[in-house]
Formats: sequence, structure tokens, C-alpha cells
Amino acid sequence: MSRAAAVVGVGQTKHASRRADVSIAGLVREAVDRALADAGLEHRDVDAVVMGKAPDMLEGVAQPEQFLAGAVGAHLKPYVRVHTAGSVGASTALAATTLVQSGLYERVLAVAWEKQSEGNAMWALSPNMPFTPPLVAGAGGFFAPYCRAYIAKTGCPPHIGPVVAANARDNATRNEYAHLREPMTVEDVMSSPVLWDPIRFGETCPSSDGACALVIASEAAAKKGPRKPAWIKSGCSYAEAMWVPGRDQVSPRAGRICAKAVYDKAGIRDPWKEIQTIEIYVPFAWFEPMWLENLGFCEVGEGWRIVDRGEQKMGAHLPVNPSGGVLATNPIGASGMLRLGEAALQVMGRAGAHQVPNVRNALGHAYGGGAQYFAMWIVSEAL
Amino acid sequence: MTRLRNVAVVAFAQLPTVAHDPHRTSTEMLYPVIRRALADCGVERGAIDFQIAGSVDYMDGRPFGFVQALDVMGSWPARQDLHLEMDAAFGAHYAWIKIQTGEIDSALVVGHGKTSEGDPRRILNLQLDPYYQAAIGLDPIATAALQASAYMARTGATDADLAAVAARNRTAGARNPEAQLREAATADALRETPWAVEPLRTGYLPPVGESATCLVLAAEGTAERLCDRPAWIHGVEQRTELQTLGARDLTRSPGAQLAAEQAYAMAGIGSAGDADVVELMALTPVEELILHDALGVDARTAAARVNPSGGALCAHPTMSTGLIRLGEAFRQLAGRAGARQVPDARRAVVHVQQGHCLQQNLVWVLGRERRWT
Repeated sequence: MSRAAAVVGVGQTKHASRRADVSIAGLVREAVDRALADAGLEHRDVDAVVMGKAPDMLEGVAQPEQFLAGAVGAHLKPYVRVHTAGSVGASTALAATTLVQSGLYERVLAVAWEKQSEGNAMWALSPNMPFTPPLVAGAGGFFAPYCRAYIAKTGCPPHIGPVVAANARDNATRNEYAHLREPMTVEDVMSSPVLWDPIRFGETCPSSDGACALVIASEAAAKKGPRKPAWIKSGCSYAEAMWVPGRDQVSPRAGRICAKAVYDKAGIRDPWKEIQTIEIYVPFAWFEPMWLENLGFCEVGEGWRIVDRGEQKMGAHLPVNPSGGVLATNPIGASGMLRLGEAALQVMGRAGAHQVPNVRNALGHAYGGGAQYFAMWIVSEAL
Repeated sequence: MTRLRNVAVVAFAQLPTVAHDPHRTSTEMLYPVIRRALADCGVERGAIDFQIAGSVDYMDGRPFGFVQALDVMGSWPARQDLHLEMDAAFGAHYAWIKIQTGEIDSALVVGHGKTSEGDPRRILNLQLDPYYQAAIGLDPIATAALQASAYMARTGATDADLAAVAARNRTAGARNPEAQLREAATADALRETPWAVEPLRTGYLPPVGESATCLVLAAEGTAERLCDRPAWIHGVEQRTELQTLGARDLTRSPGAQLAAEQAYAMAGIGSAGDADVVELMALTPVEELILHDALGVDARTAAARVNPSGGALCAHPTMSTGLIRLGEAFRQLAGRAGARQVPDARRAVVHVQQGHCLQQNLVWVLGRERRWT
């Protein structure tokens, strides 16, 4: 029966546009070694391994978890490979949590990664839909209309995207693992070229090589660890169909259902008051106000006002993506796990230079597909 | 062993495996089997708590093929969901684990893959380590042939032994209306087929085929409402090994053996000899012989009770081949196996694998009665 679980180890690589110093296995191993060291554990302490990454076309290896079994220490252990598009890093962590909550496994290693320099991300992220001409416009081409719809619906002014992007890059200067650590001003972003209207170059996530690993443990195992764990109060993943007449793509129902489920299970009634920081999946700057609304931090149409008032900045009411988030670091398969792992670091009080003070509850969030897949958890400092 | 929740297979549906379905996408192939499985349970999609799919982008020839499947899985409003880049039987294992948490009571498990869209030999070459193994052009038949040579050298098994295993599966497959190869073949005839890669003959290998599958799992209390004769899960576990061919003894399967030991212990049985039906996902006769050792299948059991469906040698629709093994066990225990029914089958052992040379193995034990009381 469902029992408590906690994050007891967090590891990530230094992220970069090209990690030419390591193979795929070496990249993954770097994150795994750090997570195990962080937890004070060794491979023999791990009962099962769950791996996630985005489309295999990104590196050109089909089911690469198979050749990586040795690199993650999975030999003669249960081994699960998750793929839920952009949300995969988060759903991988949640799958590992489920393994622990079942009572069948004490400590489970969750690993997520992408080595995008091995291939062509634009091509690999361009799904060939039935009855639709292949546009090969990548994720930016796919999601730009979502952003335009948000702007049209809410009257979001044109400086909001640049403000989000500049804040993310400012936050990333304090995160030693982040890919893009050079700050950009709002004016820098404004004057960068438009790639897919309304998304400017400066409002776009990079293409990164990177990996993240988490060790999830049962309550008994977590209490034996050397450090204060991050208790997983709730975690859910929901997905919804694409072709539903009247489906709201700007604020998908799946996201609202998933958010309500994690809040209810964690006993959170008012997320704006009870959650101190959030790590959410913002690959294009305009998604930050969109998700603030979808996640229930404000009413519909109010998300951009939170950004406009600066309440999402470090030191303000609700620091959003203190790590710099996806806009500063995007190894796609790992990006969702980085959100959940960064949320865990915040409640553990171990986020270093980008620590938000006094975090009791944090939300980690990722989405994927055509804004169809949602995976989230609430972590807390107390069980 | 602590008491686990009793969970059962309550429905299974598949499309007959064909070499190429010229009219439908993989998503379109999936829709009717989901409807059939739900109709079998007498419920609509809203009655099932969780959904999980198994598919591989590379087989579909496009990224995010599984995203399209959401539309035919009844994902409106949103469902609790997961997708594994694995054979759907591993999805069933995950769903069983999730049911053990107590958070859900039922799960829809689907497998899909349009194998004919690409060249499986080329695609499965890309599954090998890209630095050392894929680059030399190994494909799954070549790696299976290496395994077969090593096995024959170690054990003295002959071409005739391989032919006998293949012929037994092919004879059984003739009674399975959903198999792709439904002509019985004698060992002598199969020994006349040409080498695919020596020592494996074309007659010893599965045909390339495609299908779609759907299985429903439910916990005690729900299962009885959905099915009059559920197949209760008594034990299940999976294990992977390294991929690196040179680092493994390809003639043995320690992963399958360990998974079987764990599953048997959970089920309270000693060996596969305690089962009335054994469904093995063996992609060559040599893999079947290796699995006999790993799972404890003696010669008498093998002759009488292994693969009444014809096994993977008669139908190998990628990403569903494993789930079909589990579905076949359900049909046998539920008395729904038609001409291939094993009389009064009360217990089944199921094996599923993926990867080159039996890299990752999953073993189930199922029975007519509940395991825990």
C-alpha cells in the first residue's frame, strides 16, 4: 500500500551546448555518480533503475537505455524506460516514486538525459502527423501559435516575454550547472530576432547536452540517510487527447486536473500562499504566465500581471525557476527531472547560490506533447 | 513476503498479426482492440483508473507516435497516464506495481507498433551501443546467430534440435487464428529452409509482422465485476543485463533466471514444471532452449505445455509480442483459448523479453485462484 517516499540524492551534470568531453554513457554516469554520492549510497544500494529521455531520434540510438544499462548500474536489476515527450524527466521521477511507494523497492535510481549535440533537434522534434504536411518547424514552430493565442486571449503586452527571459537568465547566473550563464537585459531580448512570431531568439530555450539523476527512497531508508530529504507529498501525471473540439490549448484541462490532484493530495488549498517557490517547464518565455494561470496561482488572464509586477523574481513573493529553468538549460529528456530535482533542492535548503529562503513547499512541473502531458510533484521539508 | 494486493488480468484483445496492414496507421489499428477489451469488461473508458502504452518511436518511423495514441485511448478528460518505450508487457508490470500502491484499482495497457513502416533489422541495429557494436553492422539476426553458435558449441545442440523446437511452435501456431504463420511445418521441412545467418535458418525465425493489443488489469474487488474468470497474478519480476555482447555468456540468461526465481518465490511455486501453460517469448529456437534452463522448464513440460499459441516464431508484432504472451495466459486460464485450449489450465508461467540476445527479461506467474487471502 502507498507509503511515504523522499528524494535523498540529487545529481546533475554541467550542461552545455556540446559536451564533447564525454560519451552518452559518460554524460549519464556523471549525473548518476553525483546523485549517489549526494545520497551517500553506492550502486549496490539501488534496487531498481528508471530511465527517461525524449525521442530517440535526438541521438540516433533506438532504445538507448539498453546500451546504457551498465553506465547506470542496472545490471541484474529491474529497469524501466519512460518516454512522455517533454514531460519525460518528470514522469521518470514519478515512476521511480511509484516503485518505492508500492513497497516493493526501497531505493530507486531515476535518470534522465539528452545529448542533443549528437543530432538535429529541429528534425527530431518535428512529428509527422497524419494528414498534415510535415513542417519540420521544431518545437518553436509548434508552440508559437499557443503563445499567440495566449496574447490574443489575455491582452498580454509585448514586453512580458522579454521580462520572463531576462529574469531566467539572471537566475541562471547563480546556478553553476546552468548552460547559459551570461545575463541578458530586457532590451537585449527585445532586440533579438523573431524566430517564430511572437517568440524571439532570446525567449527560446537552448539545445543542451546534460543529465540529471535522483535517488528516491522509502521513509525508513530516507531516515537513515546523511542529509535532510525532500519528502514527496504528492506526484501525478495526466495526459489528454489532442484532437478534441474546443480543447483549450492555452490552459489545458489536463494541466488543471493534474495541479488540483497534486495540491489536494498534499493538502494545499491556496498554492499562492502555501508554496514558496516553483520550478516549471518554460521552454519559450510566454509559457511562464500561461502556466501560472494553468497551475492555479492566479485567475485566467492574470499570469502576465504577476510577471509585470515582478512577483516571480528572486526575493519576491513567488520566485519562479530560481535555477534559471529551461530557458537557460534544456537537455530535453532531463529538463523535467531538473525541475523536480531543483524543487527538491529548494526544500532541502541545498540550492546553493540560487536558494530561496525558508522554502516549506515547492512545486516541480513539466509538460510535453502538444501541451497534453503533465507531470508534477509537491515536495516538502517535513514528512 | 508481505501480503500484496490480488490483481488480475480481466480482458485482452489483439488484432490478428499480419505482415502489413495497408489501410491503417498504428493508432487506427489500436482503436478497435481498445473498444473490444472494454466491451469484454462491459464498461466504458471512464471506469478504468490508469492507462499505460508501450511503443517505440523508431518502429513507427517518427517521433512521438505514442502521442497520437492518446486520442484512441479515450484520454478525454485527461487520464492518469504513462508511456514506456518498451514492450507493452513491461507496461503491464508497471501498472501492477502502481496498483500495489493502492492509488489505483484498474489499468488499461496497450501495445502498438507499425513494424512494416521501416526495416526492423536496420532499426534494431541502431539499438546497439553506437560506438562499438552498431558501427560494425550487427543486426538482431546476426547477434542471435552469435548466441546460437555459442550455445550449440557449449551444449552440443544440433541443427535438428533447433528444427524440432521451431516445428513444435509452428504446429501449435496452426491452431491460433491470430498468429501470422498458421501453416504447420515439420522439422524436416524447416531444415530445408536457407540460412538467414548461419546457424539460424529462415524457418527458425519469426516473420516480420504488426498488430495492436490491449489488456485490462484490475485489483480484487474490481476484477470480479469486470470478468467472470479473471487470471490472478501470483508473482512477477523483471531484470536487465548488460547489452555488451562480449561481456555476457550469451548461452545463459542470468537475468531471466533471477526474474523467474523472484516471481516463483512471490507465487510460492518451485519451477515452471508447476504450470499447466508456459508462454515464452523466444525469438529463436536457441533462445527457447536457453529459457528452458533459466526458467526450469523440463523436457516433458516443454513438449506438452510450452507455447500453445505458437509463440513468437509464429507472430512477432514488435512492442506487443510480450503482451500477447500475457494475454494468451489469460485466455488459457479463462477457458477462452479455442482450439489451442489446454484442458483445465489452472496455472501459467509467462516470459517476456526485449533487447539483443535476451538482454531484459520479465517473468509472470498467473493462476485461476487468488494468491493472497
